[in-house]
Amino acid sequence: MGEQFTDQFVRWDTFSSALWYRNKAGRYRLEGTRCSHCQTIFFPPRTGLICPTCHERVMEPYDCAQTGEIIAIALDDVGFPALGYGENMPRVQAIVKLDDGVHLMVDILQVADPSEVTIGSRVKMILRKHKREDTGAWVYGFGFILDQ
Amino acid sequence: MGKITRKVMMIGGSITPPNIPMDWTWRQMAAEAFWNTLKNCGVAMKDIDLVACNYNDRAIADSSPGPQIADALGILPKPVVPIANACAGNGIASYVAWNAIASGRCDIVVSMGFARSDNYDAMEAMNSQGNYVDYDFMLGMTHINYGSMRDAYYRQKYQVPLEAAGQWAYQCNWYARRNPLAANYNKPMPELEDLCQDNIDAERDRQATNRGGVASAMIFVGEEIAHQFTDKPVLFDVAYAFRPPYIGNFFNYPIEEMKDYDLAELPGLMIAAKEGYQIAGITPKDVDVVQVHDLTAYEGMMAIEAIGISEIGKGKDYILSGGMSLDSKCPINTYGGGPAFGHGSAGSDFQAGLLENFWQIRGECDERQVKDARIGVNTSYGTHHSLDVIGILQKGW
Repeated sequence: MGEQFTDQFVRWDTFSSALWYRNKAGRYRLEGTRCSHCQTIFFPPRTGLICPTCHERVMEPYDCAQTGEIIAIALDDVGFPALGYGENMPRVQAIVKLDDGVHLMVDILQVADPSEVTIGSRVKMILRKHKREDTGAWVYGFGFILDQ
Repeated sequence: MGKITRKVMMIGGSITPPNIPMDWTWRQMAAEAFWNTLKNCGVAMKDIDLVACNYNDRAIADSSPGPQIADALGILPKPVVPIANACAGNGIASYVAWNAIASGRCDIVVSMGFARSDNYDAMEAMNSQGNYVDYDFMLGMTHINYGSMRDAYYRQKYQVPLEAAGQWAYQCNWYARRNPLAANYNKPMPELEDLCQDNIDAERDRQATNRGGVASAMIFVGEEIAHQFTDKPVLFDVAYAFRPPYIGNFFNYPIEEMKDYDLAELPGLMIAAKEGYQIAGITPKDVDVVQVHDLTAYEGMMAIEAIGISEIGKGKDYILSGGMSLDSKCPINTYGGGPAFGHGSAGSDFQAGLLENFWQIRGECDERQVKDARIGVNTSYGTHHSLDVIGILQKGW
């Protein structure tokens, strides 16, 4: 414990830094995959996996669109926040349809009043610092803000 | 599909009551349900050919649960197939049992499950189960967040009023006061008006209540030997289907004829129901009673739509017109459902519905008995409807 790490470290899960490393492209910049055979795009990425649409196995990296539109909204307010998010309740969560058709479930960030977020609102991706991991490392990943 | 060589009969089962003592281990719970079921059915341990057992992997922190389960049940060296597939896991265990019997390899199979989720103190540690954990968990999206989003989208798409959800929870509680196995059996009956409120307390009451640790077991046998154990065997069929585990991909189901369905429908359950009805030789119009796995009232409505009891998006109308009650053409959730029987995770969610229909068809449900019930359907899901199972029971005597 110290000034830098003020919270007690408790091992809550079994994820390792190797797992974090493997999915960084998706978490940092919305890198998904596209099937070279049928052109279907996927997020989360299906690197090395089989395409459920055409059943071929020729995935290539694909940069998902970083803007889109909100199609569903739910407040995280029933009292079971994810670890590291308890001080930021209620969180505004949304299903976002990106401009290339990919759907994501995301946090809508920098919202002063949840009523600002409505179905049809335009949003854009940002990279944010999410929370501190059990080991002390900061978790970075995508989030979305309103694109006024 | 291959050739089915014989029919599968259910001859009995049991489930532990709510609020299992804190000092019971998962081994003790599993043994309790297994033992009671064998005794109830008059089946000797030596005659069991196979045990298919689902478990919640919050209960066993071990990569090889098979021998541990076999040892706990005292059934060594008989084979035990361990299955971890979230809350609908026993649907898969029962599918394994069904196949073992229908193929002719086994005559008597036990399908069972248990959940002792509180083996871990931190619900948070496992809260993301069923999501696409590499992303959701790391970005703070929990299992509960998934459920809230699905409900919000369903309500929005089909304009489902709170009154329909309140009515759902109310009717579940009404049945639960008539089912001694229900978690809410002895609790005060809630007011319908309270259940229809737009506040967090009412929202929680419209969702599943917790049973604590749960275990249950059922016995399936080949049709030609069923009458050795009971004069009222019940014909059993089961089917299941998957969807992608990531919530965004619910909008991109890679099944051509189902591409129009999204987060507000359950196409996996539709596929499972189609196969199940075909194997059972029935249609939705033949069904006398239904039990669905409903962690929220909205999920319950989605389920009755997917299995054809109401049209897609019209579940609310079925509920508001009294469709759940005993005098409707097809009563729903006579066991008490998620809101009042309680959520048992892998230990009971499929089994609770199947056992209720078993007792309904045999006429053993007292005050909650559906008149002349001959065909019962139950559903269960795991991983937010990435896995959907349907069980079908028919009078077999």
